[in-house]
Amino acid sequence: MKNTLAVILATGALLLAAAPLWAHHAFGAEFDANKPVKFKGTVVKMEWINPHAWIRIDVKGDDGKTTQWMIEAAAPNALLRRGWTKNSLLPGTEIYIEGFQALDGTNKANGSVITLVADGKKLFVGSSAGDPGAAPGAK
Amino acid sequence: MRYRYLKSVPTLVAVAAIFALNPEPITGQAGKKAPAVKAWTHPETPWGDPDLQGTWTSDDCIGTGLNRAANFGDRLYLTEQELADRQGKLAKQLKQDLVETVAENQKAGTGPPGHWGERARRPCKQTSLIIDPPNGRTPDMLPEAKSRPIPEGAGNATPKADSWEDFSYYIRCITRGVPGSIFPVIYGNGQQIVQGQGFVTILQEMVHEARVIPLDGRPHASPNVRSYMGDARGHWEGKTLVVETTNFLGNRTGITGNGGGTPTSDALKLTERFTRVGPDEIQYEITIDDPKTYVRPFKVGFPLTQEPGYQNFEYACHEGNNAMFNSLSGARAREKAAAETANKK
Repeated sequence: MKNTLAVILATGALLLAAAPLWAHHAFGAEFDANKPVKFKGTVVKMEWINPHAWIRIDVKGDDGKTTQWMIEAAAPNALLRRGWTKNSLLPGTEIYIEGFQALDGTNKANGSVITLVADGKKLFVGSSAGDPGAAPGAK
Repeated sequence: MRYRYLKSVPTLVAVAAIFALNPEPITGQAGKKAPAVKAWTHPETPWGDPDLQGTWTSDDCIGTGLNRAANFGDRLYLTEQELADRQGKLAKQLKQDLVETVAENQKAGTGPPGHWGERARRPCKQTSLIIDPPNGRTPDMLPEAKSRPIPEGAGNATPKADSWEDFSYYIRCITRGVPGSIFPVIYGNGQQIVQGQGFVTILQEMVHEARVIPLDGRPHASPNVRSYMGDARGHWEGKTLVVETTNFLGNRTGITGNGGGTPTSDALKLTERFTRVGPDEIQYEITIDDPKTYVRPFKVGFPLTQEPGYQNFEYACHEGNNAMFNSLSGARAREKAAAETANKK
């Protein structure tokens, strides 16, 4: 399956970018910095759960087969404070994701860069209230 | 939906009242002074206690270190220039948060996008959260404390993960302890204060603590009764709420954001002071006295502010804590890979 997906499982391409701490765990405890992934997927659902939201996406491989991946996203309450709600990323939305696969080799990855296929914009950018944290649900 | 909260009439009235009562900058904030119109008076509850009710946040000191950088010496407050620089950094951060497209040469880092977090709204005036001792540094630890095991926190990329019990109480969604539940971290800093006759309750968003504090002078519970968040007793000193908390379980959480670091002991005694200094600001101080851990007590302080529309959100944590499963399965995968490598040799 992995060969048929537009998945980059590059080895040796360690991206040692500054890695701010995920609040609830270390990146390296869950994900493998030697397994970057990059693909297009269709949102099945976004789980607004603590301590981190997860986005389930269907990824279609070159062979036409679809595989589901789970992408770790932000703390949901931080997104709520920036004005995003459960209606902000609906099933069927196409997204590009770049991140790193789970250490255990399952179809999970962190979301380092997520953009919308429709307009190329980054997911969950900005604060609809103009004040991070000021206006929950304002979007 | 934009500015939804400001659309409600009660909110507009409340905001208008705040501006009418507080034409001067809130204490602790930078800005030009406007001419005073009417002095602020400390609100009282219907039964005559100082009124601290509302949802407060320590967001403004997000990013300010617990310990002071050595170059600041004994100086607690930033100079005007340093404050302006910090303001400039915040403004730059906000601008970056609003950039909607990915730069062509941008590489995926291992951290989350910056625009997914929460930010300070104004620069913290302090050089450190520790306000005493004068050097702004955590006092030395006693030898027996230095050897105390520290549970695996978010700072270790290759944690010992034989069991979920190797991880910190925060990572396990159990508790952050008292200081760790109020010290500013990158998100979830909400503190809702609710008062009733004879009681104050503080509801803390992240990990969802509810501290119920009796004010009626009752003695502390028996030393045999111990808990993660301790046994709190409060009283008023003028307009200041003073809360003394003892009866902690030892070896659970430490004195940093989210309760990380060397765990404190069962001898820990905390004395907190909540002083409302304006309509939207409480000056918070906590004295940490743990004679089995530190050579002397020390004090941490910072502002808590009220922000328009800010509220606590639900924080069911354990149910969705996929990170715990993934960290344990990740450790098993590492072990398997190491065993396979060893077998090949």
